[in-house]
Amino acid sequence: MTSSRAGMALALLFATAAGAATRPHYGGTLRVEMHQTISSPEALETPRGFVLTSWEAGRRAVFTADENAPGGRPFLDSIEIQMARSLRDQSVDLELGKADVVELGPSELRRQVAGRRVWSSSAVRLMALVFGSRIADARVREALALAVDRTAIHTVLLQKQGEISGGLLPQWLSGYGFLFDTAADVPKARSLLAGLPAGAGRLSLAADDAANSAIAARIQVNARDAGLTVTVISPAGNPDVRLVETRIASDDAAHALAGVAAALGLNEPAAAHNLEESYAAERALLQGYQVIPLFHLPDVYAVGPRVKGGPVITPLGEWRFAGLWVDDRP
Amino acid sequence: MIAAVKRWHAVFYALLFFFPPGATAADDVSGAARELARKAAAFAGRGAAVAITWHNMPSLESISAQARTAFDAALPESGVRVSDAAPTVAVRVTVSQNATQFLLVAEATKGEEHQVWIAAWKRSETTAAPAPGLALEKKLLWEQEEQILDIAFPAAGMLVLSPSQLTLYARTGSQWESAHTVPLAPSKPWPKDPRGRLRLIGAGFQALLPGTLCTGAVEPAWSAECHPSGDPWTLESGSRALLLADFDAARNYFDGRVTTQTGQRKTVAPFFSAASVESQGRTWWLMATLDGKIQIFDAGLDPAGAAAAVWGSDIAGTDSHCGGGSQVLATRPGEAGQADGVQAFTMVDRGLEPLTEAAEFPGPVLALWTSGGSSATVVSKDARTGKYAAYAVTVVCGGLP
Repeated sequence: MTSSRAGMALALLFATAAGAATRPHYGGTLRVEMHQTISSPEALETPRGFVLTSWEAGRRAVFTADENAPGGRPFLDSIEIQMARSLRDQSVDLELGKADVVELGPSELRRQVAGRRVWSSSAVRLMALVFGSRIADARVREALALAVDRTAIHTVLLQKQGEISGGLLPQWLSGYGFLFDTAADVPKARSLLAGLPAGAGRLSLAADDAANSAIAARIQVNARDAGLTVTVISPAGNPDVRLVETRIASDDAAHALAGVAAALGLNEPAAAHNLEESYAAERALLQGYQVIPLFHLPDVYAVGPRVKGGPVITPLGEWRFAGLWVDDRP
Repeated sequence: MIAAVKRWHAVFYALLFFFPPGATAADDVSGAARELARKAAAFAGRGAAVAITWHNMPSLESISAQARTAFDAALPESGVRVSDAAPTVAVRVTVSQNATQFLLVAEATKGEEHQVWIAAWKRSETTAAPAPGLALEKKLLWEQEEQILDIAFPAAGMLVLSPSQLTLYARTGSQWESAHTVPLAPSKPWPKDPRGRLRLIGAGFQALLPGTLCTGAVEPAWSAECHPSGDPWTLESGSRALLLADFDAARNYFDGRVTTQTGQRKTVAPFFSAASVESQGRTWWLMATLDGKIQIFDAGLDPAGAAAAVWGSDIAGTDSHCGGGSQVLATRPGEAGQADGVQAFTMVDRGLEPLTEAAEFPGPVLALWTSGGSSATVVSKDARTGKYAAYAVTVVCGGLP
């Protein structure tokens, strides 16, 4: 009994996650809703301390507490995840007490009742425009970069969530994100397009996530002001430009940059030994305007009154359900 | 985030040469300023005029002022003149920060040439001790990275019970040094919100853990042995009252099976903690039950109603006889993870009234155990440093414990 056991130190570290003035309660089901549709259980990360016990592709997943979890049995008995719920429906379900944790988009955030608990990650979702191979002229890509009025989109459509960004890495992570230009410059965009042949400024644009279609529509308007003709189409229509989101998956700048570059189909960034080199590597990735970073956004969740403990969202947006519990006492 | 992030590039990560955050960082703001000044001088040429403009990030005014002073001093030392009149080089300096460092970022322009230099230095967090309570004296006993379940002071040193080990520290001069350690490796992982209790019995000790009992001695020779155990825990309250209670090995509470000092076995509602209190010559037991209430029992553990008090889950008894009786120390109700406080209460006509201001802690209180007499041990997790700290909290009556 006195001998040490491999992995125990790590397990014990996890076991220390909870504790409180009012100690946690065991039992209950946490009801989580999300707008994504996930078709295979492998694509759904199993929360630490739980095992997948029920799976309905694209609709519902249930995770049950592992009695022998390395960090100790979670307080919750189970987690039920409902998929493919629109953000609006999620907010309604939260209001009606049918859900405990729901995603919040900017519109829903604006409508939250006072006192509602909101959990937020750091700004870890990079929203960017990514060009396909058809737009070969860098001047067209640069013109679109200069046309987008990030400030208006951030203020109106995103309700000032997250941060405006011209870099791949968020300012909070790199510290030098402000060095990348974000200001719109329509006259310069127009001058870039002036010498191009007719039709060169025609583009098709699609938002990978329908929740971002309003932003795509605003970019279409911005582009028109600069002399570009952008048509918003379905993501299935092989667009020239895609409005995408990708995640910052590490709080190490070099890791994160490599991950974002890979996710966006950019070249491998040069190895960086210090921040100057990291900045240079990031700038090199953005040369040619194949990718136009727009915003870094946080994951935002509204939390119902039954839920105790937390927040369980790490700065990188990962869930830590094992330290949560629900309290049904009146 | 539930949805998996594609990690096909994991191997790529592994192959990349990563730089640790402070790999080329300066020691401090002065070092960073000197580094940038040297680069500016090399770029501009010796004796050249350099125009400097500053751009401050919001919330960094204080550090910006320090940086500006250091940079202004470093530039002439590097051999350049600061001048707005016909400068050879224009430098825009920004003080920024990331998760771990402050950054001094210089954007230099010489004709068509443009350069960016970044010097960084590690952020040091300042910590401020919370103000002590007026009648609860708080003394820091020990601080460590791993959670502390309990702490005790046998004659030979200091015993610290943690989820992974039990350690005896011996004092060497002004330092505590680890003398003996017993790793704790339960057959099943500890429950979440692990709890543990240390008891000193002469030169021996007991470490009570969920489903596990460790026994040993610190004198004349160190010995320790742990084994699975379903034995009840002994819960003292102050220096006189005690109770035997069965701890649920898979949870964070006592299951309600208790034995009084007179040997009576009772079953009460499951509870997180218990404390006895004297009032008008009678002994009462208070139990913080799972429903968030404080239940009152008489000395024979017969129910005597619920207290109106709204406390946290942890209570402990002391008996310094302040206010005409013994006291109960209680945490505040609230969410896990919040900064917590411990306050002393006294019982008057079965009502519980505050006796002191709360002693505040810089994070949640994770353990509150009687340590005998007028003191209790409080373990708190410092929300700023992430470290766990054990305190002795003593009820002080007009300055005299």
